[in-house]
Amino acid sequence: MNRQQVRDVILHLLQEIVPAAAVRDVPLDADLCDTLLLDSLDFLNFVVAVHDTLHVDVPQADYEELRTLGGSIDYLTRAHERRT
Amino acid sequence: MRRPESISGGAWSQAWQGICRNRPSDAMGASSHLYLAANIDLDRAVNWLAELNAHRPAPDRLVMAALFLKAVTHGLRDVPELNGAMIDGEGHPSSTVHLGVAVARWDGAPIVAVLPDAGRRGVDDVMRMLRDLVRRARTDRLRETDLPEPTFTVTHLGYLGVQAVFPSIVPPLVGAVGFGKVVEQPSAVQGAVVCSPVVTVTLAAADSVGSHRGARFLATIDRVLQRPEAL
Repeated sequence: MNRQQVRDVILHLLQEIVPAAAVRDVPLDADLCDTLLLDSLDFLNFVVAVHDTLHVDVPQADYEELRTLGGSIDYLTRAHERRT
Repeated sequence: MRRPESISGGAWSQAWQGICRNRPSDAMGASSHLYLAANIDLDRAVNWLAELNAHRPAPDRLVMAALFLKAVTHGLRDVPELNGAMIDGEGHPSSTVHLGVAVARWDGAPIVAVLPDAGRRGVDDVMRMLRDLVRRARTDRLRETDLPEPTFTVTHLGYLGVQAVFPSIVPPLVGAVGFGKVVEQPSAVQGAVVCSPVVTVTLAAADSVGSHRGARFLATIDRVLQRPEAL
């Protein structure tokens, strides 16, 4: 899965969590929680959705890497490559 | 519990009782409330949670909100007068805790979803239900059964940066509690200044509950959060 595909998956998963938000307008360097008003449960639901969809189990110690859209794409592209 | 402070107590409420006497809400028995707040040290709870989650896959992890909710059920067990309705000025405590949780709907509008019989559920069960409720509230897939009558409500707005929440009591309920943002705060411990995560917990209750019981409720939440492994 390339970066573009990972980005599309991430945006799709975020859109499911916050249906009313314009997730495609979120800048790569923006804080996802601040921009999309995600609370800790929403964020965990995102991590679980990543687990179920990309089969990547992000440890809590790495949550910081998912703080921005760009960081999430980088981290999950690498993690998904390692899996395959 | 650090720095417990009574933001307003019975005297304040009594002063307002006269002012509110002729208001329509007074006829519903919802005329005066007391507010009590406490800052609770979460150092142990945060560390326990991190240690627990480090050994669990994502779907089985807990968030602090689940610990807060379980702690609230312990508080309600110790102070059952807070758990129930006020009808014609008289408290009617419920033997079961149906915990109303204020969550944002898909369009951002607040909605009270209910964790039924939360007092008898373990923290993992509460977490599963909470995650599912929030997910379905956001996607507009709440069912009628998710919205029964709560016996007490909880508001948690820390993620919006709110440090202290002063919750509204939903009539005819007797009380509500709010949790603010978990922040690092310095404090003096045995002559040294240390930083630890702290949350401000605010109770709103019908004046008839009394400040003493309200303080006991907050003290129980504090005690339970100092021993999260017992949840």
